[in-house]
Amino acid sequence: MASVSIASVNKSFGSHPVIKDVSVEIADGEFVILVGPSGCGKSTLLRIIAGLETINSGTLAIGDRRVNDVEPKDRDIAMVFQNYALYPHMTVAANMAFSLVQRGVAKAEVERHVHEAAAILEIEPLLSRYPKQLSGGQRQRVAMGRAIVRNPKVFLFDEPLSNLDAKLRVQMRGEIKALHHRLATTMIYVTHDQIEAMTMADRIVVLRDGKVEQIGSPLDLYDHPVNLFVAGFLGSNGMAFFRGNYRDGQFVSSDGLKLPFATRGDLEGRDVVCGVRPDDFILTDDGVDATVDVLEPTGSETQMLARWGSQKFTSLFRGRLTAPPGSSVRLGIAPGRAHVFDAESGLRLDGQPPCHA
Amino acid sequence: MAQDHPLPSISPDVRRSWWTPARRDHFIGYLFILPQITGLVVFVLVPLALMAWYSLNEWNVLAGTFSFVGLGNYEKLATDPALPGVLWASACFSVGLVLFNLSLALLLAVLLNQKLAGTVVFRTIFFSPVVVSLVAWAIVWRFLLQQDGGINAVLRMLSIDGPNWLRGPNTAMVSVIVVQVVKNVGLNMVLFLAALQNVPQELYEAARVDGASRWTQFFRITVPLISPTVLLTSIITVAGSLQVFAQIAVLTEGGPGTSTTVLVYYLYQQAFQFHFFGYGASLAMLLLLIVGALTYLQWSLRKAWVYDND
Amino acid sequence: MIKSRSRLALALYALMAVLCIPFLFPTWWMITSSFKPVSEIFAFPPTLLPRQFVTDAYGRVFELQPFARQYFNSLYIAVAVTTGTLAFSSLAGYAFARIRFPGANLLFMLVLTGLLIPSEVTIVPLFQMFLDVGAVNTHWPLILVPMLGAPSALQTFIMRQFFSGLPHELEDAARIDGLGRFAIYHRIALPLAKPALAAVGIFTFLYSWNLYLEPIVFLSSPDKFTLPQALTQFVDAYGGPMWNIQLAAASLTAIPVLVVFVIAQKQFIEGLAYTGLKG
Repeated sequence: MASVSIASVNKSFGSHPVIKDVSVEIADGEFVILVGPSGCGKSTLLRIIAGLETINSGTLAIGDRRVNDVEPKDRDIAMVFQNYALYPHMTVAANMAFSLVQRGVAKAEVERHVHEAAAILEIEPLLSRYPKQLSGGQRQRVAMGRAIVRNPKVFLFDEPLSNLDAKLRVQMRGEIKALHHRLATTMIYVTHDQIEAMTMADRIVVLRDGKVEQIGSPLDLYDHPVNLFVAGFLGSNGMAFFRGNYRDGQFVSSDGLKLPFATRGDLEGRDVVCGVRPDDFILTDDGVDATVDVLEPTGSETQMLARWGSQKFTSLFRGRLTAPPGSSVRLGIAPGRAHVFDAESGLRLDGQPPCHA
Repeated sequence: MAQDHPLPSISPDVRRSWWTPARRDHFIGYLFILPQITGLVVFVLVPLALMAWYSLNEWNVLAGTFSFVGLGNYEKLATDPALPGVLWASACFSVGLVLFNLSLALLLAVLLNQKLAGTVVFRTIFFSPVVVSLVAWAIVWRFLLQQDGGINAVLRMLSIDGPNWLRGPNTAMVSVIVVQVVKNVGLNMVLFLAALQNVPQELYEAARVDGASRWTQFFRITVPLISPTVLLTSIITVAGSLQVFAQIAVLTEGGPGTSTTVLVYYLYQQAFQFHFFGYGASLAMLLLLIVGALTYLQWSLRKAWVYDND
Repeated sequence: MIKSRSRLALALYALMAVLCIPFLFPTWWMITSSFKPVSEIFAFPPTLLPRQFVTDAYGRVFELQPFARQYFNSLYIAVAVTTGTLAFSSLAGYAFARIRFPGANLLFMLVLTGLLIPSEVTIVPLFQMFLDVGAVNTHWPLILVPMLGAPSALQTFIMRQFFSGLPHELEDAARIDGLGRFAIYHRIALPLAKPALAAVGIFTFLYSWNLYLEPIVFLSSPDKFTLPQALTQFVDAYGGPMWNIQLAAASLTAIPVLVVFVIAQKQFIEGLAYTGLKG
């Protein structure tokens, strides 16, 4: 087991920079998820940690060892790939044993490790099969088994669940988390799926255009996004955003409507974007009339698409609601739950320092 | 260089920074391609350069003469009374071969692509001449095409008096083309068949829903979707048709007259039977020019008639 | 409806059966005629099966020429060319597909040049080059040129196309598992390239087996001859072919390859089709 330290790392492909001065400290035994839209550099960063890509500047350390120039095989890491990367011409057992055999581990020892890992993942009956005879979920397990067998200091996962169907993905999510709990090894996990990031990570690193936007625990990021990008990226229903400015301490939308946001004397005259998560809207007589566009009941909760002036948003309520399209409901915002960002820079404007835990 | 200051700069670290994993990988890459590239330089580039040089010289191997004549061989090329006939024969052979080969290959592939039992047997039969030794194949056909050979014997049983196939100028050319097509059509057939099987079935279902007839389906769906394969096979077939030698040598020896003397056969005669190496080299330059021009032409025309989903 | 379908099927079968004749009949005629006495070969009406079954011609094949030796020549040259081509084309194809070394594009242009140059074009200078090193009337030109020269460019091209299609992840996984470049090529890429290697191997073997211009240019002594060249040498004093002997020799040349083909026709044809589509 080991910590991973990424310090001021830069990487470019030709003249095109893909990782820009990224620094992340990952503690021993931590489960860290790198998340961001496609092309943000998250997979490249993972491949840099694996040693599959070299870096142009900066320092990469695993444990106390600087590994900038160390070959992948000597970094004591294991990687689970998006398409599993199982060797098609080898059985499951041979796939799992391959790296140990490569390192010259004794045969009996190899077999013991393979069977242990197979037992953990419940794939013992599959050991003599070939990858093409397995289902997607089974291949996924074998790929994890191959990583476990190495008993690495760090596990690296590159979008390992993206090829599974939704139900299997939820199940594997739980299993990977349980595996982390059981092995207590450092895990670094790349995904573009913010739900995976929210549900599995100890800490999340949000990346955009090769730069770190924010690092923090899932709920930190959810509650205190440092900028509009992070605010919009995390959370299963997109955050509702309202453009406007503060007049006399009151938020006035670009349509000229006074919206029920908390008064902020310090932001007088400033162009801002106010954000509200869908479940932070409340039905209250003190609220402002919103026009209902669509009501989507799912049984336990009701999603409402509505408008304040020309600005559309999604809100979510527990239980059931009845409001015909075109009717009005009075909506407010739960106290302390609104997010205010600078319209120009996109940075959070709540006086709190951004979370860099 | 002053020796009293030991140079600290050549530390192991510095050397390692030159011999990086990336450089090592490049080195391995060069090692991997070394045999092939060496071979191409020695057996393609050097001969091409030598050939260009020979073509500027009068070189009679028998007489042992070798003298620089500048463009003399090319002037000879331009005035060689036999050459127009040779080029005409080459053109007839290539055009006939390509058209007949591609259309027969497509017909056979379409037939095999019908879901009928036993098509594997037919596929094996149509492909089998590909694996028969070329000269053996030509010998058998020469045997069959004689005045009193098997084909005329069959015709005689039908009371038809067959010609002496390989001795008449027109029948000789037709015979040579047919023999060559039957020998090699299996290759193109297999490529077409694979392409046909790659056309998604639902396109035909959609077309049927849209009310397209079988002909319309074939010309509006099948042909466009297999056109990349048609291009590939036509390039291979055109290039191959210009290289035909053994069949001509065995079947007709270029005759009667020069009616089946194609360019490669003429080159062989000039260089290795009459020992005009210099003139042979200039003929080779001409062949190279023709192959290059035809390949370029087909490649640049591909936009016009090949469906490409990239 | 069903009736018209089965009538259509019948018509298709009939058409295919007719089309089979030129593909099957020559081989049949070659084999049966080689067992007929000379008098029966040109008999009218022709006989589909030998009325009188004789094997004299087969004996004469080996008397008139060192035919066993020539058979061996063709075989060992084809095997050498095929083995060498498989090794060198797959190495070069792998490197061009997977290793990003400086100058790769320029060097690949050289391969494409080889692809477009018919080997007949360079036969004159090649002859002179081999003459200069004393290798005329040896088998070296017949081995080296197909293995490394213009004919091998196509094989390298096919291998490169195949390796380009292999998933990168497999190689990443192999690197993490501790394999170097050569081991990745040898233990991961090559085992997965079996279909492409089979196709390249078959193509190369047939190419070498069929060569005719090169042997007649380079070889002059009968014990060095290859089969295609030897076949045309069974002639009488006037240069006319000794038909029954020539046909017997042709049968001996063709039948073994045909038998191998019929046994393995599936791998044969599908391998070629597969690679052709990729390439």
